[in-house]
Amino acid sequence: MYSYVTGISLIDEVKEGIPPGSNVLILAPSMSSGEQLGYALSRPRPGEYALILTTVKRSVELLDYFSHEEFDRNRIGIIDSVTKLSTPDIADNTQIKFVSSPSDLTGIGIKFSSVVESVFNGEFSDAEDALFPPPIRFYIDSLTTLLMYRKLEVLYQFLHVITAKLKKMEAVGIYILNNESFDERTLALMKQLMNVVIEVKAEQHGEFLRVRGVIGVSQEWMPFRIHQGQLELIS
Amino acid sequence: MIRTGITGLDEMLGSGIPRGSRVVFSLDPGVEGRLFMFRTIETALTEQKKVLIISPHSTGMAFCSECSSHDKLVNHVNDGSVVILDSRTRETINLSEKKLQSRKRAWKTLIQETINSNSIDVVFVYFDLLYEDLGLDGALNVLPAAGEKGKITTIIEHLNLEGDSLIARFVSERRFDLIISVHSAFTLVPFFNFFTLEYISWSQIPRRSVPYSTGTKSISLYIPKIIIMGPASSGKSTFVSNASERGLSVDRGDSDGFRTTVAMDLGWLHFRGFDITIFGTPGQPRFDPILPQLVRNAMGIILVIDATKPDTLARARELLMLPSASKLPLVVAVNKTDLPHLMDEVMVRESLRLRDDVPVFFISSLKRSDVHFVIETMVDRITRHPY
Repeated sequence: MYSYVTGISLIDEVKEGIPPGSNVLILAPSMSSGEQLGYALSRPRPGEYALILTTVKRSVELLDYFSHEEFDRNRIGIIDSVTKLSTPDIADNTQIKFVSSPSDLTGIGIKFSSVVESVFNGEFSDAEDALFPPPIRFYIDSLTTLLMYRKLEVLYQFLHVITAKLKKMEAVGIYILNNESFDERTLALMKQLMNVVIEVKAEQHGEFLRVRGVIGVSQEWMPFRIHQGQLELIS
Repeated sequence: MIRTGITGLDEMLGSGIPRGSRVVFSLDPGVEGRLFMFRTIETALTEQKKVLIISPHSTGMAFCSECSSHDKLVNHVNDGSVVILDSRTRETINLSEKKLQSRKRAWKTLIQETINSNSIDVVFVYFDLLYEDLGLDGALNVLPAAGEKGKITTIIEHLNLEGDSLIARFVSERRFDLIISVHSAFTLVPFFNFFTLEYISWSQIPRRSVPYSTGTKSISLYIPKIIIMGPASSGKSTFVSNASERGLSVDRGDSDGFRTTVAMDLGWLHFRGFDITIFGTPGQPRFDPILPQLVRNAMGIILVIDATKPDTLARARELLMLPSASKLPLVVAVNKTDLPHLMDEVMVRESLRLRDDVPVFFISSLKRSDVHFVIETMVDRITRHPY
C-alpha cells in the first residue's frame, strides 16, 4: 500500500508516512507558520500530485511561492476562489481553475472533480514515474475562510463528501484551521472528519507542533521551522 | 412555456416548462450540472424573456463570466433584459437587517419590486445561500409562489448536500412542479453523469434517469445501448447501418458468399437531442450464449423479423424469452415488407405473444425514414418506460 511521506520524521520513521485516505487537520493560531506547514505537507513527492484549494492567496501568488520554494509546479493543480472577486473574466486552464468566491461550494466541487479528472487523464504530467491511482495530496487553505462564508453544518456536510471522495481516490486531505477563531464545538466537529491532528503553537523561542492521532508517535511538543518550503524538526 | 434548451429533456417534459411553474435542479457535489441552469437562462433570453438572476454567491460580473454564453449575458444585462441580484445585495440585506424575519421581508420586497418594475418572466435562483440565511421554508417563501398559472416561472439550482432524503422531502411535500436531480457515478473520478426526473406536476412520466454528456456549452442526453435483435437474415445489419451516422459490422462470409454477423453490429447516431449507441446482435443460434451479455444494461430492444419468413417467428419468440429482455421497452419491426409477404399484425402479435402496448411496425430497413421512425418510437418508449 502506498504511504504519503509527511516530512515529520516521527511519523515517517515509525509509520513510513500516512496511509491513503487520511485527513490531516492543522490547528494553528494566526501569525504562525501553520499555513506554510500545510504547504510543506502538501509538497508533491516524485510521482505524486498536489491539489490546492486556495481561499486566501491568489493562484498567481501561490505559483510564485511554489517556484521560490522549488515545488514541482507541473504536478500542482489549483482551485482559486480568490482571483475572480477582482478579475471576473479570468479563464480556467488545465492546472488552474477559478470559482467565483469561497462561498461557491457547487463550483468548488465541480472544479475539484475536473482537476482530479485531468490528473487521472495524465494531462498534468506524462512522466514515466506515473503511479495508478495517482497519489494526490489535497490541501484546503483554509477552513477558516470557508467557515466565514458558509455555516458550520453546511461545510461539515461538504467536507464529508470531499473526504469520502479522497478516500476512494486513495488520496490524502490536508486542512488548516485557525484554532483561535472558533469555539470548541466547531473544532470538535471538524476533528470528527480527521485521522490526524497537528497542533501548532508559537512562543517567544520559536514554533512548536505536536501530532495527535498516530498510534506510536509521541504527542510531545516539538520545535520546528519551515525552510525552503520543507518542514524541519529542530532537535 | 420555458424551454431548457436541452432538446431531449424538453421533449420529455412535453416541449418545456409551463409558465408559472417552480423548478429545481438539485446537483450532487462535484457533478458538472450547472449547464442545466445556464442553458435554460440562455434559452429564455433567446426567446426574449425578461430574466431575474439571484446569485448571492458571486458578484454579477463573476456570475456572467461563469455562464456558458458570457458575452450574450453581459449584453442582456446592459440592455436591461437581465437583472442580477448578486452577492452585494445579500451583503446589504444581511448588514441592514439583523433579524431573520426582517431579512425575509427585505428579500421578498426586493424580489417582488424587481419583478414588477422590470416585467420579469423568469426568475433564476442560486439557492444555497438563501437556504442557509433564511431556512428552506423562508427561502422558498421569498420567491414567487409555485403553480400560479400565468405568473412568474421560478427555476432554482442548489447543491444537495443532504442526499436522497431532501429529494424525497421535495417530492412528498410537492414544493416544486418539476424536480430534476443531477448525479454522477463516481469511482475514482466522475465517469458517468446522469439526471433523474424525480417529479413532474403536469405530466404522468414515471421517475426516469437519463445519462448525459457535456460539452463546453451544451448537454447531450445519452442512450448508451439499444439492442437490435432478431432471427438470422431478418435484416438487422441493414437496420443498424441505415439507422447510424457511423458504425461498423463484424461479419464473415461463407463459401456461398452469404454473410452473417458473428459478434455484433455497432452504430452511433444523434437523434432528437439524444446521442444513441445501437448494438445489433448476431441472429444465428450458435451465438446465443453471448446474447445475455449484449442485452445486459440495455435501455431498449428493437426486434427485427422478416415478413417473408413466418417460420422464423418461433425463433423470434425464443429471443424475447431472454431473462433481461422481458423487462425492457420493446418495439417490433416487421422488415422486408417491400417484398411479397403474408405476415400481418395479428399473426405477429399472436406468435410473439406481445402485450397490447408493444408497437409493431411494417417497414423496409432499406429505407432510412422507416428505420428512423422505429428509432423515434423506441426513444419515446425509453423516456416513458417504467423500468
